[in-house]
Amino acid sequence: MREIVVEPLSRVEGEGGITVQLDGKRIKDVRFDILEGTRLIETLVVGKTPQEDVSIACRICAICTLSHRYAALRGLEKALGIEIPPKAHHMRSLMHLGECLESNSLHVFVLALPDFLGYPSAIAMAEKYGNEVTQALALKKFANHIMEVTSGRMIHGENPTIGGFGRYPDREVLLNIKKQARDFLEFAVYGTNLVAGLDIPSFFEKETVFMCCEPGNEFGLMGDSIRISTGEVVDCNDYKKLTNEKFCPHSAAKHCLYKGKPFTVGALARVNNLGERLKGQAGKLFKKHWNDRWLKNPIYNNHAQAVEIVWALEQIPGVVDDILKIKEDPALVKPARTEGEGVGAVEAPRGTLYHHYQIKDGLIADANFIIPTGQNLEDIEKYMRLAVQGMIDQGADDDAIRLQLEIICRAYDPCISCSTHMVRIERV
Amino acid sequence: MSQEKKSVGLYGFTGCNGDQLVIIHSEDQLLPFFDSANIKSFSLAKSDNDNSELDLAFVEGSISSQEQAEHVKAIRERTRYLVAIGNCACYGGIQAMELGAKGWDQRFRKVYGDGFFINRTPIESKPIDVFVNVDFYLPGCPIDARQFFYCFAHFLQDDEPVFPDYPVCAECRWRENDCLLLKGELCLGPLTAAGCGARCPSHNLTCLGCWGPMKEANIGAEFNLLKEKDYSLEEIKRRFRMHTGSGMMKPLKKLLGAL
Repeated sequence: MREIVVEPLSRVEGEGGITVQLDGKRIKDVRFDILEGTRLIETLVVGKTPQEDVSIACRICAICTLSHRYAALRGLEKALGIEIPPKAHHMRSLMHLGECLESNSLHVFVLALPDFLGYPSAIAMAEKYGNEVTQALALKKFANHIMEVTSGRMIHGENPTIGGFGRYPDREVLLNIKKQARDFLEFAVYGTNLVAGLDIPSFFEKETVFMCCEPGNEFGLMGDSIRISTGEVVDCNDYKKLTNEKFCPHSAAKHCLYKGKPFTVGALARVNNLGERLKGQAGKLFKKHWNDRWLKNPIYNNHAQAVEIVWALEQIPGVVDDILKIKEDPALVKPARTEGEGVGAVEAPRGTLYHHYQIKDGLIADANFIIPTGQNLEDIEKYMRLAVQGMIDQGADDDAIRLQLEIICRAYDPCISCSTHMVRIERV
Repeated sequence: MSQEKKSVGLYGFTGCNGDQLVIIHSEDQLLPFFDSANIKSFSLAKSDNDNSELDLAFVEGSISSQEQAEHVKAIRERTRYLVAIGNCACYGGIQAMELGAKGWDQRFRKVYGDGFFINRTPIESKPIDVFVNVDFYLPGCPIDARQFFYCFAHFLQDDEPVFPDYPVCAECRWRENDCLLLKGELCLGPLTAAGCGARCPSHNLTCLGCWGPMKEANIGAEFNLLKEKDYSLEEIKRRFRMHTGSGMMKPLKKLLGAL
C-alpha cells in the first residue's frame, strides 16, 4: 500500500495534516487530519458572565478573533434583549471589515500565492516579487491598524463589549483610515487581476452547495438568515438543520452535512451567492473574472477573497462617514433581562460562524459554537479525493500529489484552532 | 564582524496561534526578522521547515496531548534556549483555567462523546514547564510585538532580557485613566504584569489579567478590597482563574490557606 502524508500542513492556522492511503490505483482513504489539541472552550464559558464569555470566546482563534467576538456579542445581546445604538453598529461593521481585509490579504498574498508562483513562503517570494510582497504587507498592516483602532488591540482587543464599545476612536484616526482605504484600492485591484491570471487546474472540478449569511439587499458579512445556493433562505435560529454534524461511516469522522451533502462556506460561497450585488471596482472585477468554474473549484476561493478585499476597501469610507455623523459617543446598553437564549451568526473570513447561548441568572448555562472550517471539512476531503483520483490516473508521483492536496486544503484557508471541536472521532 | 547566524525555531501547540501571528503582524520587522537569523522552523509562515539543532526555540501554546508532550521534549533536546511565548505556553491559557479543579474527563465527554481520537491521546491542558525546562517566559494574550523583538534581539546576543516588574496599574496611571477599582469594578490591574500599556482600562474596561501575575503582586490587598466591595469569593476566584489559570490561583490559594 502506498501512503502519502503531509504533516504538519504549513502556512495554515493551527496544526493539521493530510493522509492519503492508496491500494494500487484504488483510493483507500483521504483524510484531512486536525491535530491541534483540545481546549473544550464550550464547557469553559459555562458559569461565566456574558462579559467574561466574550473575552474567552474570542480567543478560540487569533485570526478570526473579531468574528468570534461579534458572533458572541450578537448571540448574547439577543438573549439579553439588548439593542445596540447605531454608532456602535457602524463601529462593529468597521471592525468586521478590518478583519475581513486582514485575514483575506494574509491568506491570498502571504499564505496561498507562494504556491502558485513556486515559492516556499512569501519571504522567499520577495526577491522576485518585491513590490507585491511589500504592498501586500502594507495592506495587511493597514487592516491590522483598523482592528487595533476599533477593538483596542490587533488581536483579542476587548473594546467591542456587551452593549457597545468601551471607547470610540478619535475623528482624525478614522479620517486617516478612510484616506488609506482609498489609497490601497489600486493595489487591491492589481492584486485581484494578478490572482485571476493564475493557471488553475481543472481536473478535480465538481459542483457543490454554497452557504452564507443573507445580509439583506447588498453584499455583506452579517445577517439573521442564511442564503443557500439552492435558492433557499433559512433563519439562523435553525442553524442545526443546516450544519447537522454526522458520523460518516467511510471515514469514521464527524462532519457537517446539509441534507446529507457536503457544502462550502467562506469567501467563495459569499461571492458565488451574492456577487451579482457587488458594485464599484469589486463589481467590475466580479463581472470580468467570474465564470461557472467558480461554482466547481475551491481554488477560486483565493480569487473570491481578492474580490472581497476590493469590496472591503470600497466599503470603509462610507462606514467611517456613518460613524462620524453621530457626534455623541453612546454609553453601553445594559441588559434588559438576566435570562434568555440567542443565536448569533456572522460571516467570519472563512465562512458562517454560529454562537448559540442560553443564559440563566445572568450566567452562561449552555453554549454551542459551529465553526466555518468544520463545515468545510467534508468538501475539503471531497475535492482532495477527486484530485487524488485524477492524479493517479495521470501517474503523478507522491510529491506532485502532496503539493496539489496542500494547495486545495490551503485554498479553503482552514482555521484549525477554530475547528478543533470538530476533531475526527473513531468509534469502535 | 562576521558572525554565524543563530538557528531559530518557532513552534505552536494548543492555542489560537495569536503569538506567532503577532510576529507575522509585525510587517515592518518581518523581513529583517527572517534576515537576522536562520529561521529553521516556522510552519505558520513557511513550508521548508526542518528539525535541526537550534540556538533558540520559541514555543507558543499549552500541551494538551501526550504527542505534544513528546514533541516539546524533543524540541527541548535540540535547542540551547527555550522561550515560552504567550499565556498558553507560560500558564496554560484559558484552556487551563480549571486545571486542578477536576471534572476534565466529564467536560471532555460533553464535547466529544465517548469517541476517541485516531491520532492523538488528549490530556488536560498544561503549561509547557510541566514537561520541559523553560529558560524564559514572555507572557501576554497575545504577546506584545515590541516585547517579543526586544527578547529576540537579546537572545541573539546571548543576553537575557529584563522586563519591568511593575503592574498594569502603573501603566494605567501614566495614561491618567480614572481608576476602575475605585469605581467598584473588578479590575485586576494591580496584580497583572505590565507590558500591554494598560489597554483595557484605557478603553474604560477592567483589566482581565491576561498578562499573568506580576512578581510579588499584593494578592492580599486586592482580595480584601474586592471583598469590601461586596464581590463574592466565587466571583473573585472565577476572574482570577480566567486568563492564567494556576498563575493567579496559586498565590490566591496560598492566601486563602493562610486566612
